[in-house]
Amino acid sequence: MNNHVISVKNLTKRYKRADRAAVDGVSFSVKQGEFFAFLGANGAGKTTTISILTTTLSKSSGEVKIAGFDIDREARKVREKIGIIFQQPSLDPQLTAEENIRFHACLYGMCGYRPSFKSMPAAYRDKVMELAEIVGIQEALFKPIKKLSGGMQRKLEIIRSLIHTPEVLFLDEPTQGLDAVSRRGLWEYINSARERYGTTVFLTTHYIDEAENVDTVCLINRGKIAACSSPEELKRKLLRHELILDAEDRTALTAELSGLGVPFTINGRVNVPFEGTAQGIISRLKTDLTVLRINEPSLEDAYIEFLNKERAA
Amino acid sequence: MSSIALSRSRSRIFVEVNTVVTVMAREITVYFKSPATAVMSLAMPIIIMGMIGGNLMQNMAGGLGFNFGQFMLIGMLINMMFMITSMGLASLVDDHEIDFNQEMLVSPVSRYSLIIGKILGSAFAAVVSLAGTLIVGFAMGIALPLGKLLLILALSPLMCLAAGAFTMIVIGLIKDKKAANLAVMLVTMPQMFLSGAIIPINDTNGVLLVLNRIMPMTYCLDLARAVVYAGTPEYDKIVMFNPAVNFAAVAALTLVGLIVGTFLFAWSERNR
Repeated sequence: MNNHVISVKNLTKRYKRADRAAVDGVSFSVKQGEFFAFLGANGAGKTTTISILTTTLSKSSGEVKIAGFDIDREARKVREKIGIIFQQPSLDPQLTAEENIRFHACLYGMCGYRPSFKSMPAAYRDKVMELAEIVGIQEALFKPIKKLSGGMQRKLEIIRSLIHTPEVLFLDEPTQGLDAVSRRGLWEYINSARERYGTTVFLTTHYIDEAENVDTVCLINRGKIAACSSPEELKRKLLRHELILDAEDRTALTAELSGLGVPFTINGRVNVPFEGTAQGIISRLKTDLTVLRINEPSLEDAYIEFLNKERAA
Repeated sequence: MSSIALSRSRSRIFVEVNTVVTVMAREITVYFKSPATAVMSLAMPIIIMGMIGGNLMQNMAGGLGFNFGQFMLIGMLINMMFMITSMGLASLVDDHEIDFNQEMLVSPVSRYSLIIGKILGSAFAAVVSLAGTLIVGFAMGIALPLGKLLLILALSPLMCLAAGAFTMIVIGLIKDKKAANLAVMLVTMPQMFLSGAIIPINDTNGVLLVLNRIMPMTYCLDLARAVVYAGTPEYDKIVMFNPAVNFAAVAALTLVGLIVGTFLFAWSERNR
């Protein structure tokens, strides 16, 4: 038996009257407890994929299983296993923050509905207060949604998506509109949820730095998966490390590099790409260096390189 | 990280009943938070009962052989229930626009429970509007015996369910607010005139008769009138069907409406 909690085979979605498929024969799998990210430009097919996986959108063809359940034939079982933060807020603006959470908890069968927070079971009240404190919205808990900032609403959605302790948490650009402090707080909380419950996280995001720490990252472009590996491997595939060098006598430095047959570019400093360790290059240089550092490529660098290559192709 | 665990080991029946109650409670909560809705549901009877009904009483009541005021009051009570329930269901389009439908549809519950909860929640405003109709009726010198009124109230959840289920067939596919409001008018206005709410329909024939027979309000009205006129000399002039037939027709039309409407609603949300 495999331990894939998400299994997608040849998934295709073509919207009505669309001239091309939004998702085109995509296949991938996600292991139990894995932190998985989908990266791609606007319109690449990220939200379409997440909508199909969470049973809110029909697929045109292909096979999708979540926690071993088929999303068409066993949709209810799938829904029991998942939590989601949608790209657009999906809160009722006429209810208070707590009323929105209560609505969700009751729909997931966590407790019987009661007409006020005070009359709800103690376990529910304690859990809500604890989660509210963790994400820092305890003061806003009883205010109407329309009086909460975008960041507060996002935090509320996080509480809501986790209150039923889902096996798989889908996050569709969850930090959109959040300030830096809120973003950090959110990730700390999601990471602690992963550690405690072994929650599998499926993320789509525009903030590529958020995907630096994932286990697997898939790049999706025009509905097709272009690459799927760990961030480290992806960076290795797409980019090389660079030595950033400079000297008072830059001409001597570049002449020395040319003499050693080491390729370089000048972009403010002298940039020397390398593979493996930098020691082999540095140890051969005789010119006195004023700048010496190693530039490690980020996932964002790799992603931009990927997009450039795709455009060129 | 949270150390408090909420259990989910509940029976399927509990979850579904709880869903109906939760969705219904949301509608009622929103009703109380929206004074305009509350005022409208009380003000509508003034227009429908007071103005239209008053005018009909002054011009049509003669020569019918029964008390037109009471006949019309029952019609208005049921008509208001249908209208307000249908209007409440139009808020499904609002929920679609704020993506709240997604939140509901991604939960592991029956879509029927969601829709039934929504209809019964909308029914709350409809039942409140009955008070407005009764007050206007009282001001016009028309009243119903308390016992009969309580019997109509007891039947009101079924009638609202029938109204909502019928409306769902039309509104299930609509995703635009203006279109939804028009659809509500399309569903409620013909019923008001064709099912005998304010005009006796004993001699209706042809296409209008066919339409009359497929409208759930026809049977709801006839059932309500059977309750009010039971044991009176006017019963045979006013009541068209046996109450059991009415009850069966209401139940059947409700079931069909719920199945078709819920399917269309869930289908249209998933198939884009």
